[in-house]
Amino acid sequence: MLKKRLIFSLLVSDGNFQLSRNFNLQKVGNLSWLYDCYNLDAITKSIDELVILNVSRNFEEDKASFLEVVSKLAKNCFIPISLGGGIRSLEDAFLYMGSGADKLVVGNILFKNPELVKELVSVFGGQSITAAVDFLRKGDDRIIQINNGKEVIDFKFEEGLSFVNSLGVGELLLTSIEKDGTGQGYDLEAYEIASKILTIPIVASGGVGKFIHLSESLKVPYISASNTANIFNFMVNGLIDARKSIEDSGTKLAHWNL
Amino acid sequence: MIVIIDYGMGNIASVKNALEHLKLNCVVSRDAEVIMNADKLILPGVGSFKKAMGYLNQYGLVEVLNEKVINRKTPVLGICLGMQLLAEFGTEDAEESHPTPGLKWISGKVTKIQTMSPEYRVPHMGFNSIRQINENQILRQIPIDSHFYFVHSYHFQTDQENIIAVTEYESELVAIVGRNNIVGVQFHPEKSQQVGLKLIQNFVGMM
Repeated sequence: MLKKRLIFSLLVSDGNFQLSRNFNLQKVGNLSWLYDCYNLDAITKSIDELVILNVSRNFEEDKASFLEVVSKLAKNCFIPISLGGGIRSLEDAFLYMGSGADKLVVGNILFKNPELVKELVSVFGGQSITAAVDFLRKGDDRIIQINNGKEVIDFKFEEGLSFVNSLGVGELLLTSIEKDGTGQGYDLEAYEIASKILTIPIVASGGVGKFIHLSESLKVPYISASNTANIFNFMVNGLIDARKSIEDSGTKLAHWNL
Repeated sequence: MIVIIDYGMGNIASVKNALEHLKLNCVVSRDAEVIMNADKLILPGVGSFKKAMGYLNQYGLVEVLNEKVINRKTPVLGICLGMQLLAEFGTEDAEESHPTPGLKWISGKVTKIQTMSPEYRVPHMGFNSIRQINENQILRQIPIDSHFYFVHSYHFQTDQENIIAVTEYESELVAIVGRNNIVGVQFHPEKSQQVGLKLIQNFVGMM
Protein backbone atom coordinates (compact mmCIF):
# COMPACT_ATOMS: atom_id res chain seq x y z
CA MET A 1 0.00 0.00 0.00
CA LEU A 2 1.22 3.49 -0.83
CA LYS A 3 1.98 5.39 2.36
CA LYS A 4 1.29 9.01 3.17
CA ARG A 5 4.35 11.23 3.41
CA LEU A 6 5.79 13.56 6.03
CA ILE A 7 7.81 16.29 4.33
CA PHE A 8 10.19 18.76 5.95
CA SER A 9 11.16 21.94 4.14
CA LEU A 10 14.30 23.93 4.69
CA LEU A 11 14.25 27.55 3.59
CA VAL A 12 17.67 28.91 2.67
CA SER A 13 18.81 32.45 2.03
CA ASP A 14 22.42 33.55 1.74
CA GLY A 15 23.63 30.24 3.16
CA ASN A 16 21.41 30.61 6.23
CA PHE A 17 18.28 28.73 7.23
CA GLN A 18 15.17 30.82 7.66
CA LEU A 19 12.00 30.76 9.67
CA SER A 20 8.99 32.03 7.75
CA ARG A 21 5.84 33.62 9.12
CA ASN A 22 3.31 34.83 6.58
CA PHE A 23 6.26 34.72 4.17
CA ASN A 24 8.33 37.16 6.24
CA LEU A 25 11.72 35.62 6.84
CA GLN A 26 13.86 35.49 9.91
CA LYS A 27 17.40 34.15 9.86
CA VAL A 28 18.00 31.30 12.29
CA GLY A 29 21.45 29.94 11.47
CA ASN A 30 23.82 28.34 9.03
CA LEU A 31 24.69 24.74 8.24
CA SER A 32 26.68 24.19 11.43
CA TRP A 33 23.75 25.60 13.42
CA LEU A 34 21.55 23.02 11.71
CA TYR A 35 23.95 20.22 12.61
CA ASP A 36 24.12 21.47 16.21
CA CYS A 37 20.37 21.77 16.72
CA TYR A 38 19.22 18.76 14.80
CA ASN A 39 20.20 15.14 14.76
CA LEU A 40 20.24 15.22 10.95
CA ASP A 41 20.85 11.52 10.49
CA ALA A 42 17.87 10.65 12.68
CA ILE A 43 15.78 13.31 10.99
CA THR A 44 16.32 12.05 7.48
CA LYS A 45 15.26 8.65 8.79
CA SER A 46 12.02 10.05 10.21
CA ILE A 47 10.75 12.01 7.22
CA ASP A 48 9.81 10.81 3.73
CA GLU A 49 11.07 13.72 1.70
CA LEU A 50 13.20 16.79 2.11
CA VAL A 51 12.39 20.02 0.31
CA ILE A 52 15.07 22.71 0.13
CA LEU A 53 14.04 26.10 -1.20
CA ASN A 54 16.17 29.06 -2.14
CA VAL A 55 14.06 31.85 -0.66
CA SER A 56 16.66 34.56 -1.09
CA ARG A 57 15.25 37.80 -2.39
CA ASN A 58 18.46 37.97 -4.46
CA PHE A 59 18.29 34.37 -5.60
CA GLU A 60 20.54 34.92 -8.60
CA GLU A 61 23.49 36.09 -6.48
CA ASP A 62 22.76 33.53 -3.78
CA LYS A 63 22.51 30.57 -6.14
CA ALA A 64 26.08 29.38 -5.54
CA SER A 65 25.79 29.44 -1.73
CA PHE A 66 22.39 27.75 -1.96
CA LEU A 67 23.69 24.89 -4.09
CA GLU A 68 26.70 24.51 -1.80
CA VAL A 69 24.38 23.96 1.18
CA VAL A 70 22.29 21.54 -0.89
CA SER A 71 25.27 19.48 -2.06
CA LYS A 72 26.48 19.08 1.51
CA LEU A 73 23.05 18.03 2.79
CA ALA A 74 22.46 15.67 -0.16
CA LYS A 75 25.68 13.71 0.40
CA ASN A 76 24.25 11.54 3.16
CA CYS A 77 20.56 11.91 2.57
CA PHE A 78 18.89 8.83 1.10
CA ILE A 79 15.38 10.15 0.78
CA PRO A 80 14.04 12.20 -2.14
CA ILE A 81 15.18 15.80 -2.24
CA SER A 82 13.13 18.46 -4.01
CA LEU A 83 14.87 21.69 -4.87
CA GLY A 84 13.34 24.96 -5.88
CA GLY A 85 13.35 28.71 -5.61
CA GLY A 86 14.78 30.71 -8.45
CA ILE A 87 14.50 28.23 -11.33
CA ARG A 88 14.21 30.59 -14.28
CA SER A 89 15.77 28.60 -17.12
CA LEU A 90 16.51 25.08 -18.33
CA GLU A 91 20.15 25.67 -17.28
CA ASP A 92 19.01 26.40 -13.71
CA ALA A 93 17.01 23.16 -13.74
CA PHE A 94 20.05 21.12 -14.84
CA LEU A 95 22.19 22.90 -12.24
CA TYR A 96 19.71 22.05 -9.46
CA MET A 97 19.39 18.44 -10.68
CA GLY A 98 23.17 18.14 -10.76
CA SER A 99 23.40 19.28 -7.12
CA GLY A 100 21.45 16.34 -5.78
CA ALA A 101 17.81 17.07 -6.62
CA ASP A 102 15.40 14.28 -7.39
CA LYS A 103 12.52 16.64 -8.06
CA LEU A 104 12.30 20.32 -8.94
CA VAL A 105 9.92 22.79 -7.30
CA VAL A 106 8.64 25.61 -9.51
CA GLY A 107 6.55 28.60 -8.44
CA ASN A 108 6.69 31.93 -10.20
CA ILE A 109 7.33 30.47 -13.64
CA LEU A 110 4.03 28.56 -13.48
CA PHE A 111 2.37 31.87 -14.27
CA LYS A 112 5.27 34.00 -15.58
CA ASN A 113 6.79 31.49 -17.97
CA PRO A 114 4.49 28.48 -18.40
CA GLU A 115 6.31 27.50 -21.61
CA LEU A 116 9.44 26.87 -19.54
CA VAL A 117 7.42 24.69 -17.15
CA LYS A 118 6.20 22.65 -20.10
CA GLU A 119 9.77 22.31 -21.29
CA LEU A 120 10.89 21.09 -17.85
CA VAL A 121 8.03 18.59 -17.89
CA SER A 122 9.15 17.36 -21.28
CA VAL A 123 12.83 17.09 -20.28
CA PHE A 124 12.53 15.69 -16.74
CA GLY A 125 9.06 14.16 -16.92
CA GLY A 126 6.02 15.60 -15.13
CA GLN A 127 6.62 13.33 -12.12
CA SER A 128 9.81 15.28 -11.33
CA ILE A 129 8.19 18.70 -11.33
CA THR A 130 6.36 19.95 -8.23
CA ALA A 131 4.19 23.03 -8.64
CA ALA A 132 4.37 25.32 -5.61
CA VAL A 133 1.29 27.51 -5.38
CA ASP A 134 0.90 30.08 -2.60
CA PHE A 135 -2.50 31.45 -1.75
CA LEU A 136 -4.22 33.89 0.57
CA ARG A 137 -7.81 33.94 1.76
CA LYS A 138 -9.84 37.01 0.82
CA GLY A 139 -13.28 36.72 2.43
CA ASP A 140 -14.86 33.61 0.95
CA ASP A 141 -12.39 33.54 -1.93
CA ARG A 142 -8.77 32.63 -2.22
CA ILE A 143 -6.23 34.40 -4.35
CA ILE A 144 -2.96 33.07 -5.71
CA GLN A 145 0.15 35.14 -5.14
CA ILE A 146 3.63 34.86 -6.59
CA ASN A 147 6.97 36.53 -5.88
CA ASN A 148 6.93 35.49 -2.22
CA GLY A 149 3.41 36.78 -1.77
CA LYS A 150 4.11 40.16 -3.28
CA GLU A 151 2.24 39.86 -6.56
CA VAL A 152 -1.32 38.76 -7.28
CA ILE A 153 -2.06 36.88 -10.48
CA ASP A 154 -5.10 37.41 -12.67
CA PHE A 155 -6.52 33.93 -12.27
CA LYS A 156 -9.06 33.02 -9.65
CA PHE A 157 -7.96 30.25 -7.27
CA GLU A 158 -9.77 27.46 -9.11
CA GLU A 159 -8.73 28.77 -12.53
CA GLY A 160 -5.13 29.07 -11.42
CA LEU A 161 -5.06 25.48 -10.15
CA SER A 162 -6.67 24.27 -13.34
CA PHE A 163 -4.05 26.16 -15.36
CA VAL A 164 -1.25 24.60 -13.29
CA ASN A 165 -2.78 21.17 -13.91
CA SER A 166 -2.75 21.81 -17.66
CA LEU A 167 1.05 22.23 -17.62
CA GLY A 168 1.58 18.53 -16.88
CA VAL A 169 3.34 18.88 -13.52
CA GLY A 170 3.44 15.87 -11.18
CA GLU A 171 2.56 17.27 -7.78
CA LEU A 172 1.00 20.30 -6.11
CA LEU A 173 2.58 21.91 -3.03
CA LEU A 174 -0.19 24.24 -1.91
CA THR A 175 0.81 26.73 0.79
CA SER A 176 -1.46 29.05 2.73
CA ILE A 177 0.38 32.35 3.19
CA GLU A 178 -1.81 33.47 6.08
CA LYS A 179 -1.39 30.18 7.95
CA ASP A 180 2.34 30.01 7.21
CA GLY A 181 4.36 30.06 10.40
CA THR A 182 1.35 30.71 12.64
CA GLY A 183 1.00 27.20 14.01
CA GLN A 184 -2.79 27.39 13.63
CA GLY A 185 -3.08 24.33 11.38
CA TYR A 186 -3.66 23.89 7.66
CA ASP A 187 -6.41 25.57 5.63
CA LEU A 188 -7.91 22.14 4.92
CA GLU A 189 -10.75 23.45 2.76
CA ALA A 190 -8.26 24.63 0.13
CA TYR A 191 -7.06 21.06 -0.43
CA GLU A 192 -10.56 19.78 -0.89
CA ILE A 193 -11.11 22.36 -3.61
CA ALA A 194 -7.78 21.46 -5.23
CA SER A 195 -8.54 17.72 -5.12
CA LYS A 196 -11.56 18.26 -7.36
CA ILE A 197 -9.50 20.17 -9.94
CA LEU A 198 -6.29 18.15 -10.08
CA THR A 199 -5.64 14.41 -10.18
CA ILE A 200 -1.96 14.66 -9.18
CA PRO A 201 -0.78 14.19 -5.57
CA ILE A 202 -1.47 17.19 -3.30
CA VAL A 203 0.82 18.30 -0.48
CA ALA A 204 -0.65 20.34 2.39
CA SER A 205 1.59 23.18 3.52
CA GLY A 206 1.50 26.18 5.82
CA GLY A 207 0.38 26.35 9.42
CA VAL A 208 1.63 23.29 11.28
CA GLY A 209 2.10 24.00 14.97
CA LYS A 210 1.17 20.71 16.61
CA PHE A 211 1.52 17.05 15.72
CA ILE A 212 -2.25 16.77 15.49
CA HIS A 213 -2.22 19.12 12.48
CA LEU A 214 -0.04 16.60 10.66
CA SER A 215 -1.99 13.51 11.72
CA GLU A 216 -5.39 15.09 10.95
CA SER A 217 -4.36 16.27 7.50
CA LEU A 218 -2.90 12.87 6.61
CA LYS A 219 -6.24 11.25 7.39
CA VAL A 220 -7.80 13.23 4.52
CA PRO A 221 -7.92 10.85 1.52
CA TYR A 222 -6.89 13.40 -1.10
CA ILE A 223 -3.92 14.79 0.84
CA SER A 224 -0.90 12.67 -0.16
CA ALA A 225 1.65 14.39 2.04
CA SER A 226 1.93 17.03 4.73
CA ASN A 227 4.71 19.56 4.79
CA THR A 228 6.18 21.63 7.56
CA ALA A 229 8.89 24.26 7.39
CA ASN A 230 8.65 25.20 11.01
CA ILE A 231 12.26 24.71 11.92
CA PHE A 232 11.86 25.61 15.61
CA ASN A 233 8.89 23.38 16.37
CA PHE A 234 10.76 20.37 15.18
CA MET A 235 14.19 20.83 16.69
CA VAL A 236 16.12 17.98 18.32
CA ASN A 237 13.74 15.00 18.14
CA GLY A 238 10.65 16.90 16.96
CA LEU A 239 10.31 15.15 13.63
CA ILE A 240 10.94 11.73 15.12
CA ASP A 241 8.17 12.37 17.65
CA ALA A 242 5.91 13.77 14.90
CA ARG A 243 6.27 10.56 12.91
CA LYS A 244 5.43 8.47 15.94
CA SER A 245 2.42 10.65 16.70
CA ILE A 246 1.09 10.23 13.13
CA GLU A 247 1.44 6.46 13.39
CA ASP A 248 -0.21 6.45 16.82
CA SER A 249 -3.18 8.22 15.23
CA GLY A 250 -3.65 5.20 12.95
CA THR A 251 -2.03 6.41 9.72
CA LYS A 252 0.55 3.93 8.49
CA LEU A 253 3.85 5.35 7.32
CA ALA A 254 6.80 3.74 5.57
CA HIS A 255 9.34 1.64 7.46
CA TRP A 256 12.85 0.94 6.32
CA ASN A 257 14.19 -1.47 8.92
CA LEU A 258 16.74 -3.96 7.73
CA MET B 1 34.46 -0.26 -11.56
CA ILE B 2 30.75 0.57 -11.66
CA VAL B 3 29.79 2.89 -14.48
CA ILE B 4 26.75 5.12 -14.06
CA ILE B 5 25.65 5.81 -17.60
CA ASP B 6 25.26 9.51 -18.22
CA TYR B 7 23.02 10.20 -21.15
CA GLY B 8 22.06 13.66 -19.96
CA MET B 9 18.97 12.73 -17.96
CA GLY B 10 18.16 12.10 -14.39
CA ASN B 11 19.23 12.37 -10.79
CA ILE B 12 22.76 11.13 -11.41
CA ALA B 13 24.15 13.05 -8.41
CA SER B 14 21.82 11.08 -6.11
CA VAL B 15 22.89 7.72 -7.54
CA LYS B 16 26.56 8.69 -7.24
CA ASN B 17 26.07 9.88 -3.62
CA ALA B 18 24.57 6.51 -2.72
CA LEU B 19 27.42 4.52 -4.31
CA GLU B 20 30.06 6.73 -2.70
CA HIS B 21 28.37 6.34 0.68
CA LEU B 22 28.69 2.57 0.19
CA LYS B 23 32.39 3.13 -0.62
CA LEU B 24 31.92 1.66 -4.08
CA ASN B 25 34.24 2.60 -6.89
CA CYS B 26 32.14 4.35 -9.51
CA VAL B 27 32.35 6.74 -12.40
CA VAL B 28 29.75 8.72 -14.34
CA SER B 29 30.35 8.40 -18.08
CA ARG B 30 28.96 8.14 -21.59
CA ASP B 31 32.31 7.14 -23.07
CA ALA B 32 32.14 3.84 -25.00
CA GLU B 33 35.57 2.69 -23.81
CA VAL B 34 34.79 3.41 -20.15
CA ILE B 35 31.49 1.57 -20.47
CA MET B 36 33.12 -1.43 -22.16
CA ASN B 37 35.58 -1.74 -19.26
CA ALA B 38 32.90 -1.63 -16.55
CA ASP B 39 32.29 -4.52 -14.15
CA LYS B 40 28.75 -3.34 -13.54
CA LEU B 41 26.49 -0.81 -15.22
CA ILE B 42 23.81 1.40 -13.74
CA LEU B 43 21.30 2.96 -16.09
CA PRO B 44 19.59 5.73 -14.12
CA GLY B 45 16.96 8.01 -15.50
CA VAL B 46 14.29 10.53 -14.77
CA GLY B 47 12.32 11.93 -17.66
CA SER B 48 10.55 10.86 -20.80
CA PHE B 49 11.07 7.50 -22.51
CA LYS B 50 11.21 9.05 -25.97
CA LYS B 51 13.79 11.69 -25.02
CA ALA B 52 15.92 9.13 -23.19
CA MET B 53 16.05 6.73 -26.15
CA GLY B 54 16.77 9.74 -28.35
CA TYR B 55 19.85 10.61 -26.26
CA LEU B 56 21.03 6.98 -26.04
CA ASN B 57 20.88 6.79 -29.83
CA GLN B 58 22.44 10.22 -30.30
CA TYR B 59 25.43 9.30 -28.12
CA GLY B 60 25.78 5.96 -29.91
CA LEU B 61 25.19 4.11 -26.64
CA VAL B 62 22.58 1.58 -27.79
CA GLU B 63 25.11 -0.53 -29.72
CA VAL B 64 27.71 -0.25 -26.96
CA LEU B 65 25.17 -1.31 -24.33
CA ASN B 66 23.90 -4.20 -26.46
CA GLU B 67 27.44 -5.52 -26.85
CA LYS B 68 28.22 -5.09 -23.16
CA VAL B 69 24.96 -6.36 -21.66
CA ILE B 70 23.72 -8.94 -24.18
CA ASN B 71 26.97 -10.38 -25.59
CA ARG B 72 29.34 -9.92 -22.67
CA LYS B 73 26.63 -10.38 -20.04
CA THR B 74 27.76 -7.55 -17.75
CA PRO B 75 25.25 -7.03 -14.92
CA VAL B 76 23.12 -3.94 -15.40
CA LEU B 77 20.71 -2.20 -13.03
CA GLY B 78 18.07 0.05 -14.58
CA ILE B 79 16.52 2.56 -12.19
CA CYS B 80 13.09 4.14 -12.74
CA LEU B 81 13.13 5.37 -16.35
CA GLY B 82 16.29 3.29 -16.78
CA MET B 83 14.19 0.22 -15.86
CA GLN B 84 11.46 1.19 -18.31
CA LEU B 85 14.01 1.55 -21.14
CA LEU B 86 14.70 -2.21 -20.86
CA ALA B 87 11.28 -2.80 -22.48
CA GLU B 88 10.49 -3.38 -26.15
CA PHE B 89 8.72 -0.04 -26.49
CA GLY B 90 7.13 2.85 -24.62
CA THR B 91 4.14 5.04 -25.37
CA GLU B 92 5.24 8.19 -23.51
CA ASP B 93 5.19 11.31 -25.75
CA ALA B 94 4.48 9.06 -28.73
CA GLU B 95 1.46 8.47 -30.90
CA GLU B 96 -0.29 5.26 -30.04
CA SER B 97 0.41 3.75 -33.43
CA HIS B 98 4.11 4.71 -33.25
CA PRO B 99 5.48 3.87 -29.80
CA THR B 100 9.19 4.49 -29.17
CA PRO B 101 11.41 1.40 -29.38
CA GLY B 102 13.29 0.66 -26.15
CA LEU B 103 16.44 -1.40 -25.53
CA LYS B 104 14.31 -4.56 -25.97
CA TRP B 105 16.21 -6.59 -23.38
CA ILE B 106 13.05 -7.59 -21.54
CA SER B 107 9.80 -8.28 -23.35
CA GLY B 108 6.89 -5.97 -22.68
CA LYS B 109 5.82 -2.37 -22.97
CA VAL B 110 5.67 0.83 -20.94
CA THR B 111 2.30 2.58 -20.81
CA LYS B 112 0.56 5.27 -18.75
CA ILE B 113 -0.83 4.27 -15.35
CA GLN B 114 -4.63 4.40 -15.53
CA THR B 115 -6.68 4.64 -12.34
CA MET B 116 -10.45 4.73 -11.84
CA SER B 117 -10.78 6.16 -8.33
CA PRO B 118 -9.56 9.74 -7.67
CA GLU B 119 -8.01 8.49 -4.45
CA TYR B 120 -5.36 6.81 -6.58
CA ARG B 121 -3.51 9.82 -7.89
CA VAL B 122 -1.09 9.73 -10.81
CA PRO B 123 1.93 9.91 -10.62
CA HIS B 124 2.20 6.99 -8.21
CA MET B 125 4.40 8.89 -5.75
CA GLY B 126 5.81 8.00 -2.35
CA PHE B 127 6.96 4.97 -0.39
CA ASN B 128 5.20 1.74 -1.21
CA SER B 129 5.88 -1.83 -0.11
CA ILE B 130 6.75 -4.56 -2.61
CA ARG B 131 5.79 -8.23 -2.90
CA GLN B 132 8.17 -10.79 -4.33
CA ILE B 133 6.98 -12.88 -7.30
CA ASN B 134 10.16 -14.67 -8.42
CA GLU B 135 13.46 -15.38 -6.72
CA ASN B 136 16.32 -12.99 -7.43
CA GLN B 137 19.58 -12.10 -5.68
CA ILE B 138 18.60 -8.43 -5.77
CA LEU B 139 16.17 -9.05 -2.86
CA ARG B 140 18.61 -11.02 -0.74
CA GLN B 141 18.19 -10.17 2.99
CA ILE B 142 15.61 -7.52 2.24
CA PRO B 143 12.73 -7.91 4.70
CA ILE B 144 9.25 -8.68 3.42
CA ASP B 145 7.12 -5.52 3.32
CA SER B 146 10.09 -3.15 2.91
CA HIS B 147 9.22 0.25 1.46
CA PHE B 148 10.80 1.84 -1.59
CA TYR B 149 10.36 5.29 -3.12
CA PHE B 150 8.29 5.33 -6.31
CA VAL B 151 7.67 8.34 -8.52
CA HIS B 152 6.26 7.46 -11.93
CA SER B 153 3.30 7.99 -14.25
CA TYR B 154 4.14 5.10 -16.60
CA HIS B 155 4.57 1.44 -15.79
CA PHE B 156 6.23 -1.65 -17.26
CA GLN B 157 3.90 -4.43 -18.39
CA THR B 158 5.67 -7.73 -18.95
CA ASP B 159 5.29 -11.53 -18.70
CA GLN B 160 5.05 -13.06 -15.25
CA GLU B 161 8.40 -14.85 -15.70
CA ASN B 162 10.23 -11.49 -15.93
CA ILE B 163 8.64 -10.05 -12.78
CA ILE B 164 10.70 -10.20 -9.59
CA ALA B 165 8.37 -8.05 -7.48
CA VAL B 166 5.19 -6.02 -7.69
CA THR B 167 3.75 -3.13 -5.69
CA GLU B 168 0.13 -2.60 -4.83
CA TYR B 169 -1.70 0.50 -6.05
CA GLU B 170 -5.23 0.53 -7.41
CA SER B 171 -4.02 -2.38 -9.48
CA GLU B 172 -0.66 -4.13 -9.12
CA LEU B 173 2.30 -2.40 -10.74
CA VAL B 174 5.57 -4.07 -11.66
CA ALA B 175 8.26 -2.99 -9.20
CA ILE B 176 11.25 -5.13 -10.24
CA VAL B 177 11.97 -6.92 -13.51
CA GLY B 178 14.83 -9.32 -14.03
CA ARG B 179 16.29 -11.66 -16.59
CA ASN B 180 19.78 -13.20 -16.40
CA ASN B 181 22.28 -10.37 -15.86
CA ILE B 182 19.63 -7.66 -16.24
CA VAL B 183 17.65 -6.11 -13.37
CA GLY B 184 15.36 -3.12 -13.44
CA VAL B 185 13.73 -1.39 -10.48
CA GLN B 186 10.82 1.00 -10.96
CA PHE B 187 11.55 2.68 -7.62
CA HIS B 188 14.61 4.66 -6.55
CA PRO B 189 16.86 2.50 -4.31
CA GLU B 190 19.23 5.45 -3.95
CA LYS B 191 16.34 7.32 -2.28
CA SER B 192 14.92 4.48 -0.19
CA GLN B 193 16.90 4.80 3.03
CA GLN B 194 19.05 1.90 4.30
CA VAL B 195 16.94 -0.75 2.63
CA GLY B 196 17.52 0.87 -0.76
CA LEU B 197 21.26 0.98 -0.15
CA LYS B 198 21.12 -2.72 0.71
CA LEU B 199 19.47 -3.43 -2.63
CA ILE B 200 22.26 -1.55 -4.42
CA GLN B 201 24.81 -3.66 -2.51
CA ASN B 202 22.96 -6.79 -3.60
CA PHE B 203 23.25 -5.68 -7.21
CA VAL B 204 26.96 -5.02 -6.83
CA GLY B 205 27.35 -8.53 -5.41
CA MET B 206 25.74 -10.12 -8.48
CA MET B 207 27.97 -12.19 -10.74
